[in-house]
Parts: sequence; structure tokens; C-alpha cells
Amino acid sequence: MEFIFSNALEQGLLYCFMVLGVFITFRVLDFPDLTVDGSLPLGAGVTAAMIVAGHSPFAATAAGVAAGVLAGCTTGVLHLLLKSGGSDATNYGPKLLAGILTMTALYTINLRVMGRSNIPLLGVDGVYEKLAAALGISMINWNLILALAALTIVVKYILDWFLHTEFGLCLLATGDNEQMIRAMGTNTNLTRIVGLGIANGLVALSGALVAQQQGFADVGMGIGTIVAGLAGVIMGEVIFGVRNISWVLFSVIGGSIVYRLLIAVSLRLGIAPTDLKLLTAALVVVALSIPTIRSKVVRG
Amino acid sequence: MSAPASLSLRALRKVFFAGTANEVVALGGIDLEVPAGQFVTIIGSNGAGKSTVLNAIAGTFPLTSGAVSIGEHDVTGQPEYMRSRLMGRVFQDPRAGTAPSMTIEENLALSLMRSHRSGLRRGVTNKRREVMRTDLARLGMGLEGRLKAQVNKLSGGQRQAMSLLMATIADPGLLLLDEHTAALDPKVAATIMGLTGTLVAERGLTALMVTHNMDLAIRYGDRLIMMHGGRVVLDVAGAEKETLTVKGLIEKFHEVAGEALAVDRMLLD
Repeated sequence: MEFIFSNALEQGLLYCFMVLGVFITFRVLDFPDLTVDGSLPLGAGVTAAMIVAGHSPFAATAAGVAAGVLAGCTTGVLHLLLKSGGSDATNYGPKLLAGILTMTALYTINLRVMGRSNIPLLGVDGVYEKLAAALGISMINWNLILALAALTIVVKYILDWFLHTEFGLCLLATGDNEQMIRAMGTNTNLTRIVGLGIANGLVALSGALVAQQQGFADVGMGIGTIVAGLAGVIMGEVIFGVRNISWVLFSVIGGSIVYRLLIAVSLRLGIAPTDLKLLTAALVVVALSIPTIRSKVVRG
Repeated sequence: MSAPASLSLRALRKVFFAGTANEVVALGGIDLEVPAGQFVTIIGSNGAGKSTVLNAIAGTFPLTSGAVSIGEHDVTGQPEYMRSRLMGRVFQDPRAGTAPSMTIEENLALSLMRSHRSGLRRGVTNKRREVMRTDLARLGMGLEGRLKAQVNKLSGGQRQAMSLLMATIADPGLLLLDEHTAALDPKVAATIMGLTGTLVAERGLTALMVTHNMDLAIRYGDRLIMMHGGRVVLDVAGAEKETLTVKGLIEKFHEVAGEALAVDRMLLD
């Protein structure tokens, strides 16, 4: 049981950056961004390819994150081109299409970057091994969890700080009332592009960390990222609440952990790993439709 | 902070759906010079082009032809967000002027930093909170004690008062009001209108207020403009405006509107 818990905690922390990224797009920017299915393996692929080529795993991870930022910005620019002059913030068509296009293009780019569909990282040092060597400890189980938790807290506080800066407030307002913040003199095209860049950088960070932890990068590892991310966001919001932006960042990280715990328990109960995506999708459908159904029932 | 700006509209034309069967001439050549500090009310029937004039000034759409200057800036080719720094706007929908899921202080911080490019400084500072509390207190709605409340918890009137404050707090040179009391119940509308008069006078703003309400248009402002069919058909200021009555305006309106109808008939014949 303890093994299940620590394992889920580890997975939850590895993927919480991705969930934070999905939170920024889906909730903060009101931009359902499908790029994440491509930027997760992009982060993993770039990092793995660079480590195998002999670069420092820290530089490789940074490059993976940078690639993710670039992918997110690309989606932002595509959205700008696709929205055809109209500035209706509730028009999700161009937003979805921009993400789908980048995601699809990234499949080719990921294969090009990796040179093949799978890069094993066995026998080469990733960030964990380097860190373990530097600290003179083994980077497994609770030590790994502590290291990830430390990184999570640092990233959380940087995000928290950023979202409370002037630019951060403009970013929040872009998703909340674009018309208003444009009338205040903010270039919302720019804030949206920056926001998508940051979000996909976070997603790529998860990809890079996951690849080094599991010992390989795979071109197919991003499938279903958006749904898993949404599940994390929604579970975090429901379980831990949405008091204010600082609080909700913690909620979302908690949601990521709870979601992985749920997966671990499902697997323990004998559910086939291949059935998990259907289960996750069903979970998201139920969670997102509850408000709609409730309002229908109340109206009678 | 800037002084009130003059506004100059030169031969503004806007044709929607040009070259199609649905072609609409929304603005048929508007010339208007508003000196700095003047409060202009704009009336007219539906489709007269009142809101279109405000949107043309704000840069919501590209003009067919003509030019807009605010102070010494020719803003004709500038995108909306860029010229937004020169003006405050309040819309009819109280939800339009504020970010609902952000707090009162975050909303006001957004409006306080409009005069410069937003950077990585903290958005809500104690110095800004001081300014906010002082200005919120003057609304007389007790909002100064609720800085951390989410705006979507406020009533429509409170949100519109916030919108008005946010549009004027950084002393923009120009204030554009697009039927900003039309969606409120009469009592709240009166409060917001009173507040508008005070803020415009105190801050010495150049203001344009579109309204359906002839009484408001007469009672407020230094100058009254009536629009019809995308043109200015009546422009009175000073002593002449003082003597205007609703009855007189309606007669005037029927005179112009009737004339337009007659011209239409002549064209059809």
C-alpha cells in the first residue's frame, strides 16, 4: 500500500507541471489547448536526444522546456491567423484548430528530433543521477519525491509571483474579459501567446522529467495528455477549492497527485492499463457536466 | 497623468458589408471638433450611428475613410489596444467593463497601470491600494472595505460604478460612454449618472456620452448632438442647449427624420 502511495505521489509530482500548464490554458486563458499532447513528448524527445548526444541533462531539460515554450507560442500565432479578424472571445473553433494543427505538426517534429520513435536512456545519466551524485544520496523513492516536491514548490511560487505582476494580471484578464483588458490598452494577442508559451513550457518540463525517470522517451507518450491534465485540474478544484489564484495553484498540484493515486488504485484493482484513458475521459465528462445537469434539474 | 484631450473627427465614413446586397452606410461623413474638456451627449434613434461613432474613435474596426485625432495624436491607423491608452470606455453591459473572476483590487490595478506598458512589477501594491480606497470611498457603496472580493459577487450597479471608476481613475484624456446606464434599474441608473457628472467635472474630462434618454442628454453635458442615418443632424451647445426641452427635441427629431423619410420616398419614385 505504501508503495502504491509513494508511486502515485511521484507520478503526481512528475506530471503536476503538465497539469499546471493545462490549468493556465484551460482556466486562466480560457483556451482549450490541444498542443499539450504534442509538447509533452516534445519536451521528452528533445531532452532525451540531447542527453544521448552527450549534453548535460540539465541543459537538455532546459532545451526541452524551451522547445515546449516555442510550441505554445506557435499555437498562439496560429490562433491569431485563424481567428479571421473577429475578436469574439467565446469562439473556441480557431483556438481548438490552432492546437490541433500544432499537435499534429509536432508528431513529425518529435520523430525528426528523436530520429526514431523511442529513445532509451538506460546507462546514461539524467538529472536525477547527477543530483544524486552531487548530494551523495540515492535518488529513489522518498528522496526522489522530496526533490520533485522541492522543484514543484519553486515552480509554484514563481508562477504565483508571475501571475501577480502587472503582466500576470493582464494575462488573467485576457482569459476573464478580453474586451475589457483590450480597452485598457493591453495587446491581448501578445498576452495570449506568452501564456500559451509558458503553459506548454511547463508541459514540456513534465515530459522531460518523466522521460528521465522512466528511462525512455517515446513519441506516443503524449496521447491523452489534455484529458489527464483536465482531470487533474478539475479534481484539484473540486477537492481543494478555488479560493484565489495562489490557492488554486496548490489545488491543481494536489489534483495531479489525487488523479495519479486514483490511477494506481485502479491498476491495483485489476483494471487494464489500456482501459485507463476511457476511464479518465469518462471522469472528465462527468465532472464537467455536473454543473449543466444540476442547473437543468433545479430548473425542473 | 494626462490633461483632457481635444477630439477631432474628419469626414468619418464607415460602410459595412461594402459591395454586397447588405451594404450599410453606418457613418456617412462625420465632421466633429470637440475641444478639450467638453462633455458632449449624443442622441438618435436605433441605427443612427451613435455607437458606431464611439467604436470608430476606439478603433474597434477599420474606417472606410476619414481620420480621427485625439489631442495631437492621429490615431486613425492605430490598433484598438494602442489608442486605448488615450481613452476610458464604459459600455452598456455592466459585465463588459470588469474582469468577473478577479478581485476588486486586481481590476482597479489593471486600470491604474494602463498609462504605461505592463511589466514584472507587482500589480497590486500598497501605494495603489491607497488610491483605490480613496476613489472607491467616493462611490459611496462601501466597496473600499472589500478590496479582495471577486467582482462577480457585486451587483450590476456596483459593477457599473467600478467600470466608470476604472475608465477614469488613470485620468485618460477622453471618456467614451456607450449607453452606460441603459441596462440598470432607474434608481441605480440615476446614481451612476450622478457619479458620471461628478467624475467628468472633477477630472475635467473630455467626454462623449451616447444615450437613448433625451432627458439625460439635455440635463448633462455642455453640448448635444443628434444623429440620424449616419450623420450629425443637430449640434447645439451653450445657451441654446440650456433652453432645450424634451418636447422640443422630439419635434426636432420628427422634423429631421420626417425629412429623411420624404427623401427616401422621392428616391423610390
